[in-house]
Amino acid sequence: MSAIDLVGVRKQFGETQVVRGVDLAVPSGAFLSLLGPSGCGKTTLLRMLAGLETPSEGEIRIDGAVVNAVPPGARDIAMVFQSYALYPQMTVAQNIAYPLRKRGVPKGERAGRVAAVAEMLQLGPLLERKPRQLSGGQQQRVALGRALVREPRIFLLDEPLSNLDATLRSHMRAELIELHRRIGRTMVYVTHDQLEAMTMSTHIAVIDGGVVQQFGTPQQVYRRPVNRMVAGFIGTPAMAFVEGRVGEGGALTLAGTRVATVDAAPGATPVIGIRAEDVRLAEIGVPARVGLVEPIGHETLVRLHCDAGIVTARLPGDTAVQPGEQVHFTADAGRLHLFDPIGGERLTDPYQGNERDHG
Amino acid sequence: MSAGVRKLGWSLLAWALVLLVATPLLWMLSTSFKPENEVFAVPVTLLPEEWTVEYYVLLLTETSFPRYFANSAIVATLTTLVVIALGTLGAYSLVRFRYRGREAIASAVLLSYLLPSVVLIVPLYLMMVKLGLANSLASLVIAYTSFALPYALWLLRSFMAAVPEDLESAAMIDGATRMGAFLDVTLPQALPGIISTALFTFILAWNEYLLALVLVNADEVRPLTTGVMTMLVSGFNIEWSLLMAASVMMSVPLIVILAFLQSYLVRGFGAGAMKG
Repeated sequence: MSAIDLVGVRKQFGETQVVRGVDLAVPSGAFLSLLGPSGCGKTTLLRMLAGLETPSEGEIRIDGAVVNAVPPGARDIAMVFQSYALYPQMTVAQNIAYPLRKRGVPKGERAGRVAAVAEMLQLGPLLERKPRQLSGGQQQRVALGRALVREPRIFLLDEPLSNLDATLRSHMRAELIELHRRIGRTMVYVTHDQLEAMTMSTHIAVIDGGVVQQFGTPQQVYRRPVNRMVAGFIGTPAMAFVEGRVGEGGALTLAGTRVATVDAAPGATPVIGIRAEDVRLAEIGVPARVGLVEPIGHETLVRLHCDAGIVTARLPGDTAVQPGEQVHFTADAGRLHLFDPIGGERLTDPYQGNERDHG
Repeated sequence: MSAGVRKLGWSLLAWALVLLVATPLLWMLSTSFKPENEVFAVPVTLLPEEWTVEYYVLLLTETSFPRYFANSAIVATLTTLVVIALGTLGAYSLVRFRYRGREAIASAVLLSYLLPSVVLIVPLYLMMVKLGLANSLASLVIAYTSFALPYALWLLRSFMAAVPEDLESAAMIDGATRMGAFLDVTLPQALPGIISTALFTFILAWNEYLLALVLVNADEVRPLTTGVMTMLVSGFNIEWSLLMAASVMMSVPLIVILAFLQSYLVRGFGAGAMKG
């Protein structure tokens, strides 16, 4: 049974359509990331789940029950805000106890549960401090504690890591994964960071323009993006898009070099999407000139300029190429992604057959 | 050397300004303790040669001063309470809720504040008569509220806007009603703003003269401002010592309130800056 169902959910503010018809079924216990560029409607979606916004149309169900008109406090959800939203005049202990206080949990029990949460998040020594006396990472943990203490059915997290520095962020990422594993509750996580979404989620919904572009596991979304938007948004460096051309017998050429055979009419010009890790340098292949070279250590990112456009290649760290050099590159036919040149939707499946069922 | 001279210059300037502002007040204080024959004595005495509290005693026992004082206290307190109650809720609504005409209302409020009070006096008076409230403390409370509220709304609006909406959202998710979230989270955050607005309103109501002069002309409901004037400036004989004693006692509540709340204000504003 799904923990959350969104059915035809729309939201508009005045004339602006922010969410334009979202259908989603989130399995119980999932870690779902709502992933998309800023302004795509993901935060509005989360706020509708929380009950802070009312959908203009459609239904939101939690555990099968429609909650459109249920106030936030009665939905049995907890939310961690990007700003943490800790109550400034209360101590850490009072902050964590607040949801219990509002629900009439007796004082003695409150203290016990606060202590348990503080223990879990290592907040013990900080309980009597005010939020402003804490570091960003500590505030983050208090916000998590306030969400955890009530043991709600669903956790909503709105870009909770975006205000932390890189080291702390990766640390908290690991803690959140561990936390989700331990408590096994459904979590909905809003982020614009595809790395966070890929590493933490069991499911990803890629959102753009107020609609879900793709819903699936991180692997599905990465390996079989349903359109150019998803393909370009997921993965670093971003997938390269170059113009292909279909000749006689379905021969797909890239900058004049045959790269695959496809089931398409001659004269079609699909967009070929190539991930950097699928590109290899070879004796025979697409001729290209080496552009920018970025050595990272264990690998080197190389920009290859060919007649059809620029392709980024992720090559071993010891690759010795110089800018301006003429090379040839190739990529497995099965690893190419083809997209419609106008609408951008996916045309073929690079993993023909064996992976199709998962999409 | 030149830095020292400049510093000295600034100090002298500052002290000159302070003296300019403080002299009439100190003079008032000094005069209120002088016996009648010393008030106009030449050479002028800075401090009374002979201290006396007879005018204070006279004021409290023989005149309507206590009555006026009570009236002023009642009117200023009620006005402050009404303005703060309406102002906080109104400002909250202007900041948090989306509804048709919200900006128009905000502008209209500001516009009404810009109207000179003189043009409103006659209509207000006629209204009070029609309502049967002429010559009552209620008429003063209503009139002062109508003057203080627009400004209070604008002040409070900016204080409310500074409270992050996330805090309220969090409180509501944590199980509070909207009113609960307002009381638990927004109000404590906006408290310094509310206190300074209350202070402003109280001072305005306490010092108001013009409206009181027009709306109220019975001794039982006169506030201090008009009361003291009618009591002591009648005819040709102004009892200066008595007037000064009255003035001192009129100033005391404001000074006390300001001293008490100022420390609170400083604490409130400084709260976010401390890092332990």
